[in-house]
Amino acid sequence: MHTESLKRQRRNITIAAICVVVGLLFALPQLGLSVYFMHTLIGVFIWIIVANSLRLLGLSGQGSIGHAAFMAIGAYTSAILAKFLGWSPWITMPIGVLVTVVVGFLVAVPFTRVRGIYFTMVSLFFGIGVLAVNQVFNKWTGGYSGIISIPRLFAYIKTPYYYFCLALMVICLLIMYRLEHSRIGLTWKAVAQSYSVASSIGINEAWQRILCLGVSCFFAAIAGVAYAHYYVILTQETFSFNTSINVFVYMTVGGAGLFAGPIAGTAVLLIIPELLRDLREYVPFIYAAILLIVLFLMPQGLAGLPAQLWQLIKRPARAKRMASEKEVGERAP
Amino acid sequence: MLLDIHGLTKNFGGLIAVDHLSMSVGEGQIVGLIGPNGAGKTTVFNLITGVIRPSAGKVEFDGKDVTGKSPHILAKSGIGRTFQLTPLFTDFTTLENVVASYYLHPRSGFWDSLFNTPKYRHNEAYALEQSLKILDMVGLSKVKDERAKNLPHGYQKMLGIARALAVQPRLLMLDEPLGGMNTDEITFTMDIMAKVRGLGMTILVIEHNMQILDLCDRVVAINFGQKIGEGSVKDIRNNPDVIKAYLGEQNVA
Ligand SMILES: Nc1ncnc2c1ncn2[C@@H]1O[C@H](COP(=O)(O)OP(=O)(O)OP(=O)(O)O)[C@@H](O)[C@H]1O
Ligand SMILES: [Mg+2]
Repeated sequence: MHTESLKRQRRNITIAAICVVVGLLFALPQLGLSVYFMHTLIGVFIWIIVANSLRLLGLSGQGSIGHAAFMAIGAYTSAILAKFLGWSPWITMPIGVLVTVVVGFLVAVPFTRVRGIYFTMVSLFFGIGVLAVNQVFNKWTGGYSGIISIPRLFAYIKTPYYYFCLALMVICLLIMYRLEHSRIGLTWKAVAQSYSVASSIGINEAWQRILCLGVSCFFAAIAGVAYAHYYVILTQETFSFNTSINVFVYMTVGGAGLFAGPIAGTAVLLIIPELLRDLREYVPFIYAAILLIVLFLMPQGLAGLPAQLWQLIKRPARAKRMASEKEVGERAP
Repeated sequence: MLLDIHGLTKNFGGLIAVDHLSMSVGEGQIVGLIGPNGAGKTTVFNLITGVIRPSAGKVEFDGKDVTGKSPHILAKSGIGRTFQLTPLFTDFTTLENVVASYYLHPRSGFWDSLFNTPKYRHNEAYALEQSLKILDMVGLSKVKDERAKNLPHGYQKMLGIARALAVQPRLLMLDEPLGGMNTDEITFTMDIMAKVRGLGMTILVIEHNMQILDLCDRVVAINFGQKIGEGSVKDIRNNPDVIKAYLGEQNVA
């Protein structure tokens, strides 16, 4: 009972803190946020969606290092339809997402036949394959040099984009959180732990892994279309292998085990270089340093740091208490 | 008969792990499947539950041909099972293991789960309530919030049974449920098996420990994948081939 109320209290504090942060983010443009920093934050919002969609895929035990390819399919589909057919981005964006989800489910059928590291390798080849397709259809995609002057969602000002991407991120995160904490997430986690036990209780584990990939593609594609119509330029580099790896790093540095992990990882790794603009040449070293510190000292990633610190504070106190209790116990008789 | 096996055969390369095995399990019975190490018992289980496909032969459950069907289909048709090794979702708590196993009955769809509909909430409340009941029955209530991987071996085995019960099977298949248990745990587990039969379930059990015979209505003994004896417990105890198979094993050991 005592721990229950403590848990509820901690939950309420967390919810309150999240509301404050989100409220602050919505208020920032009124509080004189610089255009440059607004631009940075829009990027952060978009990549948080991607990093969390990658973590969602990980719930079913599948790690991808080609996830940017799904962003690419959504982004290019929407960009091409908007640019060459002149359709409104508000129509092409949902189409881009839909196309990605369909492609996602289609490729998931063969991909999910392999598990673990083999799936990860297939995801790598898929990422490379999508880039090759991009080259083959260079009449529309622009090949290596890319596609420019993609129609915008809003005029040149950044504030509406800021609100749009922030709202998109909040909605996507809410849905992903709900998915994870419903039976859907429970089932995916069960599949990740043991596919043989999972199928023995009636779970069609292959289908669950397909479903998980399809849902993850949905969120990656949302980020992809938002990217296309904000940055209005897509090149071969935008969704390359490097990009997929970056997203993987955001997730792991932040802490793949925690929902807040990819959020913290993306925010820290994208904002730090902007704060240290004068030290631009050193950014790779700073990145490497952060990575090493996290890998060696923070098993739960950046998002696990508060809990880790709390443990550090609590442990000496508890040790002291236990020691004194022992003393009392020994003296008692 | 609830379960009927005809001429079931499995080759692993050159090795014949199961060799033209026929047997059946009647509704409400407890049937033992015994045999020395490597006799092919677990392979028979895996063939019945669709984990591996037979090279030849037929499996009928409740009068329907289920040969080579996927494991989740067999769970759906009413077979629950435990595993000899790694029987659990190790990162889940005890309770989560059982709740997660309430996947089929009641079944919540994707959209119901996502939108937290009244139907979904009703299903989840039911699953939780039933899971707590099962944990109570198998004596694991006190460790319900412990992570499964941290449980002692005997508890893990018990949890495997609890998980299989959550499928609400008509046929419960247990692969060495007493393996590695101490005497108290063995008595307790056998009590639970008797209780489960009382609830109307049929049990097919693999076991090395001959104490299990006290519970069995019928026993099938196999060696090198072939049936070497079948019948009542008394028949099996007096069957020279069975005695030889077990003595032979002891001589090697
Ligand atoms: N997947 C497999 N591939 C190859 N050979 C296998 C496979 N599974 C089992 N075998 C072999 O089949 C034979 C029967 O194994 P099985 O696990 O069914 O025996 P068992 O009766 O359950 O033994 P135990 O009492 O030790 O659990 C053994 O010789 C084993 O090595
Ligand atoms: Mg075995």
